[in-house]
Parts: sequence; C-alpha cells; structure tokens
Amino acid sequence: MTTESTAFLYPFIEGDERDAESLLTDLATSAEAKWDQSERLRQATLDRCHDQIATVAADMARRFEAGGQLFAFGNGGSATDADDVAQLFTRPPWGQALPARSLATDHAVLTALSNDIGFDVVFSRQLEAHGRASDIAVALSTSGNSENLLKAFAQAARIGMLTVGISGYDGGRMAASAALEHCLVVRSDSVHRIQETQAALVHALWAALQSELDTEHRIDRPEGAP
Amino acid sequence: MTDVRPDLTPLLGDDLGALAGTHPADTGRAVTGLTADLARASLALARRFAAGGTLWCASPSWSFHAHHVAVEFVHPVIMGKRALPAVVVPSGTDLVATLRATVRPGDMVVAVADAHDDDVVDAMRRGPAWGVETVWLGAGPRPGAGAADHVLWLDTDDPLVASEQFVRIYHLLWELTHVCFEHTGLLTPPACDEEVCITCSDEGRLAEVISVDDLGEALVRTAEGRERIDVSLIDSPRAGDLVLVHAGSAIGSLEDRP
Repeated sequence: MTTESTAFLYPFIEGDERDAESLLTDLATSAEAKWDQSERLRQATLDRCHDQIATVAADMARRFEAGGQLFAFGNGGSATDADDVAQLFTRPPWGQALPARSLATDHAVLTALSNDIGFDVVFSRQLEAHGRASDIAVALSTSGNSENLLKAFAQAARIGMLTVGISGYDGGRMAASAALEHCLVVRSDSVHRIQETQAALVHALWAALQSELDTEHRIDRPEGAP
Repeated sequence: MTDVRPDLTPLLGDDLGALAGTHPADTGRAVTGLTADLARASLALARRFAAGGTLWCASPSWSFHAHHVAVEFVHPVIMGKRALPAVVVPSGTDLVATLRATVRPGDMVVAVADAHDDDVVDAMRRGPAWGVETVWLGAGPRPGAGAADHVLWLDTDDPLVASEQFVRIYHLLWELTHVCFEHTGLLTPPACDEEVCITCSDEGRLAEVISVDDLGEALVRTAEGRERIDVSLIDSPRAGDLVLVHAGSAIGSLEDRP
C-alpha cells in the first residue's frame, strides 16, 4: 500500500493550523506544476505517437468504410473514457458521425455477466454477441493489465476485428499481447497524468480518422441511410 | 477506477520519470487564476467532506465527465486514500428536481457544463437555499458573476481541448482535496467573531418556496432547514421560486416574471 506524505512540506501539519492562506498558495503552486507536467506529457506523447496515430486512423477508416462499427471499453475512469469515445464518434463537434458505442454502459448486461460468469468476461462476451470482422475494438487502461480487456481483445482478434489498445506505464500486458494490432502507450507512471494524455490520444486519433475520411475515402452515404 | 497500481509519483513536485523528449512549456502562467480557484474549491470540498457532506456530480451534455469525477472520489487511483461519497446525477433526468429531492444541507454539487446550460444555471443558483456548495467547470463564455460558489473556467473554445482540460481540473480537484485532509486544523471553517456578519445574521438568506398558502404565508427551504415565512410583500410567489428572507419575511423574489 502506497501513501504519500506531504507533511514535510508544511510547517503546521497539526490540528492547530489556522491560517489557510499559505496552504492555498501551496496548493495553487502545486496545481500549476502538475498542469505544466500534464501539458508536457501530452505534447511529448502526441509527438512520439504521431506516425502510429496516422497508421491506426487509416486502418480504422478502412473498417468504417467496410461498414464496421467501433466498440470502446475500459474499467473505472477508463470506462468513462470509453463513453467519451462513443460520444465523440457518434455526436462529433465537426466531421462525420460514425457508428460507435461503449460496452461499459449497460448495467443489466454488466451485472448479468459479472454475476453469472465473472467480471473478466464482461467485455469479451459482448463482443462475442455483437462483433463482426469489419468492426473495431478500442480499449483503454492505465496499467495495460486488466484481465477483462485482454480477454476481450483475444475475442476481438478471433472474430477478425481491428484491435487498438490505449495504455500507460510501459504498456503492460496489452502492449505485449499478440491479440492487439496497435497499442498506443502513454509513458508515465502517474495514473492521473496517463488518463489526461489518453484523452488527448483519443482526440488526436479521432481527428486523424476524420481527415482520412475527408480527404481520400469520404463515405458517401445514400440519402436517408441510418 | 480499477487500475489500482499505486501511483509512484509523490503528490507534490513529481518529476516526469521515464518521459523522453519533453518540450519546454509555459502553460503554468496561463492557468494561474484557475489554479488559485482550484485551491479554494479543494479546501471547500475537503471541509464539506470532513463534515459528512456528499458530492453530487452532474454533466448533462457529457455524462462521462460526471461519472469520472464520481469514481475518482469513491475509488481513488492512489491506494490508501480514503473513499469519499460522490454520486452521479444521471443525465436525462430533471437535474433540478433530482437534486432538490436528494441533496442535504452540507452537500456539494459539481457540474461540468457550458455557461448556457439552463438546467445547470438553475441548479447552481439554488445552491445557497439548499445549503450546498457549488463548483462549476466549464469553457468558453463565462457564466455571470456569482453563478456558483466556485467557477473553474477555461478560456478555450475548442471542445476537445476543453474536454481534456476538464479531466485535468477534476484530477487536480481530487488531489488537492486530499492534501487538505492532511491539514486537520483547517478543515473546520474559522469561527465567526464579527459583531454582525452576513452568515450569522438574518441578512437576506436565500430560500426556495416549497408551498404557498392562502394566508400570505409560505413554507420555504433554506440552508438551515424548513421554515414558514410571510410572503405578503412579494407578487404571486409560487412553489420553486427563490426568495430573499429577512426576519421571517420574504423581502424580494429572484424570479424575473412579467
């Protein structure tokens, strides 16, 4: 169990501390340093992953052109990132709306699978039901080690789906798994900073995909198509 | 969230670890005002949590942000940090009605929303009558002065940049709140020792009308609880109206009805 101690930084750590102003100044200074650190990690990661993002976006474009849809998933905060992916793709601020959904939102499915089988199958079982060869699996994890994501990627690979992981630390098991065609890694060991840059990676990937569709392979959907 | 590898970086002054190829950045300067606001909001939340308050999280347009805030506080990424009560107000429900029914004095409401989100505007302005502390995260044009107790605002008009920076803001809100917990002496707000102060006196407290009777009286809700007040001085008060109460009477209405 890891807990941090910041006590050494403050002269009054006991219960008789009364002046909040020095604490507020320290908090603001700390927040600025972290903001700066997050910004630098974001930029360095986007620079390092530039070519990889272009490759993944092109692969994704081919799947969408073939009528595929995207499934996003993750656990905890990464589940909310998966929801973010689904919302961004289906209801974009600009560009084409694309078929995508999060596998972390249906509480009936999640609790049924967890209760009846186990939490390790909550995503793989859904892909078994919905996934087709033209589809895309995108999963986010800060550690890259979540068992249910690895199981889902194995299932997606069996189906023939495009598999894209977004991971942190050194990439974890996701980066090493043969079931993943692509794994974008945020090289940091802070869960919060990893998630912040993973959000930027998702946005960069989405934007690259949009320009891929726009410039070369625009999907001309028939009028009134769903 | 469930990736429970311990955070290896200390809470203050962490370095970039294995990060290669960092770029010089001067973004810290641009967020000075924001980080000062973040610091005050974090201390306010820590005080409310310490007193038993619950954090209600809402984001009508981006429900994933509300869920992310809530899971951050309930199940911290850093093992050993205490679980705190934070709840999502589901999108697609009537935000004001849900909060009105469920919040208790001492609670907190955090919203992630644009300034023109009418439901959030309405929920935030009711905060003082419900006895809740309000925190509003947003980007672009700012809400009016005093729209919430803490307005944490970004200047960007790019929705994707804003969304990324919201994550940063609520991560920092969580981190700083936990730093405040180490300062136990500051978790109790300083006692009021002024002769007459706004908080302790009956000076224009905000109240939300629950019901109005035929006798010119109304049952209202304030931060202190329910009370019966005289409403004969204001025009056609209705349930849900916000009124200013002084010495047992409504002396003004905040509703702008023709």
